[in-house]
Amino acid sequence: MSEQGSWLHVRASGMDLALSTLDLREVVGMETVSPLPGRPQGIQGVVVFQGEFLPVLAWVDLPGCAVPTAPPMAMAVLRPRLAIPIERMIGVIDAPAATFRDIDEDDPATGWAGGLLHAGGLDLRLLDPDRLIALLRRFRGDR
Amino acid sequence: MPMPQEPEGFHLDQSFDDVWAEFEDLFVQARQTLATLKEPQPAHVVQASVNALFRTTHTLKGMAGMLGFPSFSKAAHRMEDIFDLMRKGRLRSTDSLVETLEAGILALESGVGGLRRGRSEPEDYLQPLRRQLGELEALARPAEGGAQDLTSMLDLPPDTLKALSEYEHTRVTSLLLSGMPIHGVRICLDFATFDERLRVYGEALGSFGELISTLPWDVPEDREGLAFLLMIACSDLEPSRLPALEGELLGLALLADPARVPASLRAEEAVPPPSEEKEPVPVASAAASPAQEVEILRLPAQRVEALEARLMAVGQLRDAASQLLNRTRRASDDDRPMALMGQMEDGLLDVQKSLLQMRMVKVESLFSRIEPMVKGLSRDTGKPVKLTFQGGDLELERSILGRLTEPFLHLVRNAVDHGLEPPSERAALGKSETGSLRISASQRGRNLRFDIRDDGRGFHLERIQARGIELGLLKAGDNPTPERLHRLTLEPGFSTQDKPTQLSGRGVGMDVVRAEIEALGGEVHLSSEVRRGSLIRLSFPLSRAVVSCLKVRCAGQPFGIPLGSVVRVQAGRQVCRGGDQVRVLGESLPLESLQACLGLPEPDGQRAFVVLGQQGAAARSVEVALGVDEIVGRGEVLLRSLPELAHTAGIMGGSVQEEGILWVLDPDAMLGLAMDSLMRRVARV
Repeated sequence: MSEQGSWLHVRASGMDLALSTLDLREVVGMETVSPLPGRPQGIQGVVVFQGEFLPVLAWVDLPGCAVPTAPPMAMAVLRPRLAIPIERMIGVIDAPAATFRDIDEDDPATGWAGGLLHAGGLDLRLLDPDRLIALLRRFRGDR
Repeated sequence: MPMPQEPEGFHLDQSFDDVWAEFEDLFVQARQTLATLKEPQPAHVVQASVNALFRTTHTLKGMAGMLGFPSFSKAAHRMEDIFDLMRKGRLRSTDSLVETLEAGILALESGVGGLRRGRSEPEDYLQPLRRQLGELEALARPAEGGAQDLTSMLDLPPDTLKALSEYEHTRVTSLLLSGMPIHGVRICLDFATFDERLRVYGEALGSFGELISTLPWDVPEDREGLAFLLMIACSDLEPSRLPALEGELLGLALLADPARVPASLRAEEAVPPPSEEKEPVPVASAAASPAQEVEILRLPAQRVEALEARLMAVGQLRDAASQLLNRTRRASDDDRPMALMGQMEDGLLDVQKSLLQMRMVKVESLFSRIEPMVKGLSRDTGKPVKLTFQGGDLELERSILGRLTEPFLHLVRNAVDHGLEPPSERAALGKSETGSLRISASQRGRNLRFDIRDDGRGFHLERIQARGIELGLLKAGDNPTPERLHRLTLEPGFSTQDKPTQLSGRGVGMDVVRAEIEALGGEVHLSSEVRRGSLIRLSFPLSRAVVSCLKVRCAGQPFGIPLGSVVRVQAGRQVCRGGDQVRVLGESLPLESLQACLGLPEPDGQRAFVVLGQQGAAARSVEVALGVDEIVGRGEVLLRSLPELAHTAGIMGGSVQEEGILWVLDPDAMLGLAMDSLMRRVARV
């Protein structure tokens, strides 16, 4: 996660989120996810992306996330090769337009969000790929 | 310790892959060429090998200098000097010399591994070999009064004689003293093709004897192009066997006759030609030696990436063909297009297989790096070691092999330095004075497994525990399991050694081993018994391969079970459920449904089952019947590994098929899951 550059403002799992463009490989249309039998927590399945399996995040397994209200229309592919299903793309926020603050300690999203980005009167949770991956690994270790 | 000088504009990151690959190729060439020196060879073959090694170390020196690694460059220069002494005949190729050189090359290779990981340069990469190299250099020092020089016997113009290098002086002298005539072949070649033609001549003349030099020559007045004099030492030169095209060959001449060397000088020859001690073998068999028979084609990283991209494209094309085949099958009754597409799909699978095969190398090439290192370590530590390898014929991807080398060398160094006891201690314990180090490779389903076993003292768990408490990794009063204690040694900076030796014990390395293996999606397992020895097991999945599977269906999803683990398939009228016992060939086996193993909703009953056995077990120690909804058939599938975040117990990977992804089961893991599930049933009762 970076506080430099620009951010993609998206709606995912019913939340307004900011994804740093520096953390993104690309955003592509949603593919049919092949569910993994006995899937690990946090991963709903895989899609074939550029000839390889790409794991797709299961928002519902993450603390502070609800069951998505709408089907995802796209997926943001993070640099560490993880697909984030998103329901809507709202726009791009540039650095001068945004201010940052730390996420509240009691916010259940602390496990995967690196802070809050304030822009256009909205507080967006900043998705932190490092924290998210660490959380997914922790899930696996706990199993 | 000096830090590497990083020239402006150079960053040692992924973009340096080309450079690392080039280093790697040079080391492979050096090791293969050194290996040929261990076998008896004709003198000219030995000379060609030594020349090749000289060039390789020269290139290594230059590359390191360019990249700003002065210590490495210095060490490569020292090795280059040794090869120079050999090619000038001042050092004989003996087993101990070759061993020292192998250890030197290995030390440089290991050093490159460290640089690649961003480590600082050591002051002297060849420090452990300092004594041996010093002895060699002293041995090769010319005697008082200087060396004999017979180049004046060559029938060449004075200017040409003056231009001869020290190497050419030495070789000409040495060859004449050994009774070998020196011939000259004058050729004139076209500008456009001279380099290729020179190579052709070089190869052809190499089959006669030792090509000493390629000297520039005057072009005849009536000709255009480039002229050369090829100086070759051989007993006989047949013009008809030269690959001359029309007009190329200007003439042949005997440049020096050894019969004219005074008898007194011949007797003074102190250093015989490099292979004198060894029984020469016929040229034909020498030509078949591995270094000559295998042509190494070095590709820049971007070309390899392009090849990988083509492989991926073929895979995607085949996926598309599979899906199209399925849709057409549903939509049309006409079989012809489907048959054609089926052929296309088969053809693409064949292409995929052959492309996959191109990326594979034998595990043997990894073992070949370990052997000289163990010999050197054995000598340096005074511990005799019996080293055995198993499974060298297995193949793995070249990229994986490159990443395994450094962890392996580290583990082997540790095993010899810390694991094996000195001979006196072993004798006192009633053990053989020679320690045993066994390294084996085996394939378990889609996993490759390496075992490194020694019969040494084992891990000192009490000391590990104390050190763990000291480092804050354990709490005093904790009662950690032996497994946990073994794993502590994989933590960064963990070492129980008070003083590091030159070989190991700095607490750097085991964490690198773990990081590298985990990055490959694998794991490291350590175990040991006091005074009985240690086992380090590395296992990791191969990223892609074609696997023969039994296809089954469960809970509406297709699954594949690698055929190597399928003992028997049975389907009938009888309905069975998880926890039942089934009779198979007179034996009673426990049955568990595949659904229960994978945590899927259990079916009411199943009419088919597959008996799974432990793969590779001589006598199948564990067998379980796995209940499935339907047996579909068998087939070959292109397996893709699951990325680390999607690792799922019991699933080895998947393959894109007509009906979606077919999940390929990991038989060993399935056996474990089935037994766990059965135990839970018993516990519930």
